[in-house]
Amino acid sequence: MSTGATQGPHSLAFRVMRLCKPSFHVDPPLRIDPFDLLSGEDFSDDPASASLLRRHVSSADALDSDLSYRNRFLINHPTDPIGLSGLLLLPQSFGAIYLGETFCSYISVNNSSTSQVRDVTIKAEIQTERQRILLLDTSKSPVESIRTGGRYDFIVEHDVKELGAHTLVCSALYNDADGERKYLPQFFKFVVANPLSVRTKETTFLEACIENHTKSNLFMDQVDFEPAKQWSALRLHDDDLHPSSLVPPTSDLGGIIPPNPPVIIRSGGGIHNYLYKLVPSSDVSAQTKFQGSSILGKFQITWRTNLGEPGRLQTQQILGAPVSRKEINIRVVEVPTAIHLNRPFSASLNLTNQTDRQLGPFEVSLSQDESQMGKPVAINGLQKLMLPRLEAFGSNDFQLNLIASKLGVQKIAGITAWDTREKKTYELVPEMEIFVESD
Amino acid sequence: MDPTSPESETRPEINPSSAATNPAAVQPIKATPEATAFESTPSSFADPPPERSNSLDELTHDLSSLHDLSTRGQWEAILDKISQSRALFLLTKPHEHLTYLTYQVIALTKLRRSDEASHELNSLHDFDGEHYRYESFPEIYPDRKGSMVPFSLRWMYALVPTRLGNRQEGLDRLYTLLDFVRERIKEKEGNDDSVELWKKREIFVMSCLLGFHLGHKEFGVSLELIKELIKRDPLDPVLVSKLGSVQMQFGDIEGAKATFDRVEKMSNHNGLVSETQFKNLVGRNKALVHVVAKDYAAAVREYEECIERDNSDVVAVNNKALCLMYSRDLSDAIKSMKSVLREITLMLSRLTTRRFV
Repeated sequence: MSTGATQGPHSLAFRVMRLCKPSFHVDPPLRIDPFDLLSGEDFSDDPASASLLRRHVSSADALDSDLSYRNRFLINHPTDPIGLSGLLLLPQSFGAIYLGETFCSYISVNNSSTSQVRDVTIKAEIQTERQRILLLDTSKSPVESIRTGGRYDFIVEHDVKELGAHTLVCSALYNDADGERKYLPQFFKFVVANPLSVRTKETTFLEACIENHTKSNLFMDQVDFEPAKQWSALRLHDDDLHPSSLVPPTSDLGGIIPPNPPVIIRSGGGIHNYLYKLVPSSDVSAQTKFQGSSILGKFQITWRTNLGEPGRLQTQQILGAPVSRKEINIRVVEVPTAIHLNRPFSASLNLTNQTDRQLGPFEVSLSQDESQMGKPVAINGLQKLMLPRLEAFGSNDFQLNLIASKLGVQKIAGITAWDTREKKTYELVPEMEIFVESD
Repeated sequence: MDPTSPESETRPEINPSSAATNPAAVQPIKATPEATAFESTPSSFADPPPERSNSLDELTHDLSSLHDLSTRGQWEAILDKISQSRALFLLTKPHEHLTYLTYQVIALTKLRRSDEASHELNSLHDFDGEHYRYESFPEIYPDRKGSMVPFSLRWMYALVPTRLGNRQEGLDRLYTLLDFVRERIKEKEGNDDSVELWKKREIFVMSCLLGFHLGHKEFGVSLELIKELIKRDPLDPVLVSKLGSVQMQFGDIEGAKATFDRVEKMSNHNGLVSETQFKNLVGRNKALVHVVAKDYAAAVREYEECIERDNSDVVAVNNKALCLMYSRDLSDAIKSMKSVLREITLMLSRLTTRRFV
């Protein structure tokens, strides 16, 4: 909506200031404790000198009673040297904007001409590659007038959901002193970058590495993994295994600081890893488990920067590697608590048919692929055990009589089940470790 | 400036037996018979009348004047006084040179002449050497043991590199200083006065380090330091409030709120702050929580209450103006800052006129 190519100088002008959260001003001062300056550091070692010095300092103090420089030279409170007075500072520069943050801006349109302007319609929009979003429009109730030297201010907010170039378009349509209708557009460009990258690795565990590409440290408010419906996820913390020794619960601290330090990811490339254990959820049928859908779930991430400025992102669906499901699963269920050298013991095992058809019968034995030297754990007695056919998804518990011929930590390994009909061999997985004691 | 060599230009004619009892011989301008009180055995001090403002002179030549000038920010005058005292050979004892040097380094740093301050520091010997210990001069300091180095000088030695842009060197020296202080605390066990003094120094150095790390947004080490400080004084509301601010700065809003709640429940019996200051501290903490929640009107109300209780609470004034800006009230923000500046100017002009009376 332009009134012509040549409009002459404008009476109005826009000024824009990004209004992200303020920050604390940190300014360590040069302040002294008189006891550190007026005498040698060991002067107070003897009590008479110590009390002398105290008297001198307090008598010097008593004389100087007006509001003077002394409050900026001598220490008032022991924590003065930190330089954290609580003074808040406005954002000192535009800074960088990242996906998931909220863009907030203070916009001021001022009349720098020598006469009043009237009937001012103000609009503010964000323009991206894909869309144009209206943030403010006063056309229904235009500002009646802005006097010379006057201002009209407003604050706009926009949740940033796209990457790349953005333009804040501020425009004013107004009647100037001569009654001429003028149009002033002003453009403020900024670029939105990606704040995080999420890399995942999984087996039955999902490890996500979150890397911070922004210029500030990110306080991780929430990192939640939402599993797909066939999974349930358990977040594994390292302090479940190693209780944090940073702040032992002491009575004088009284729980001021919780034992688990908050997660802060350092700016410019810092990373933090999150580990989840994925367990097939109990309410899903075994059939779906077998089909092994590869969608694991997605992450919801919220973070905060200074003074709690929030940002949030959701990742795309994370895919798992296609699960190669075994048709037959053999595992050791139970062994006796004490296993002695050269004394037979009974191990409970389980054979499960994970397919949707009948399999077997099976011949269970120790594989002979090793050298002639006996395995440390061998089958005692009959070397082959026959197991009947198994229905689809059926399982069979059985006992094997074993004997260990070596001391110490040994493995029950090499047990195989041979499907006599399909002529396929299945191995005992995982190998089981046992401890063999002497007689 | 080498205190060990009697022939140095600042210590002429030092005769160990006569200097102690005859200072007038070497000081043409000012005879200070009170200076002899310092060298005698500690137990023979006479009780000085408490109102005497020049009582500090007992410790070091003209110290009360130096102290007075420093508390009035008259750094140029201090530098003049120091060079004059040296030129006129008014400093006769080793510890006096060290004290004067400390004032000189501080004054130069305050005047932003840190390169000159660094130059002066380079003229020093190793702080822990024999020449800076009382027992090396038994004729001057009979029965006195220990280091005569003012602790502030050690601190300036660590601070000056940071003022010259060499942050890493400064940090290294500060951490070395912290170790040094902790050794002294262990060493002086049993001497309660000394231990208390050195513990204050430990807090001082840790606070400095915290300021440096916070300024560089180094959260991990900042949190560790402030936890250590709180362990030593968990009931200090000002310190615990600073923890809340640190948590807030890094985005741990829930943590900050819990910390501020804790401060509110503290009684102010440790006496470090007055009742008004405590109420304002709690009020400002509440206001910060409102700022985070973007409830700027509520924050402004808190700050106004603080200002009413104490109109010299500059933090409340500044932060109130900031909140007015965030609530789009830029004109009121400017107005309130202007009115406070006016009041402060009036206050200052009243003070200066009083001085001339």
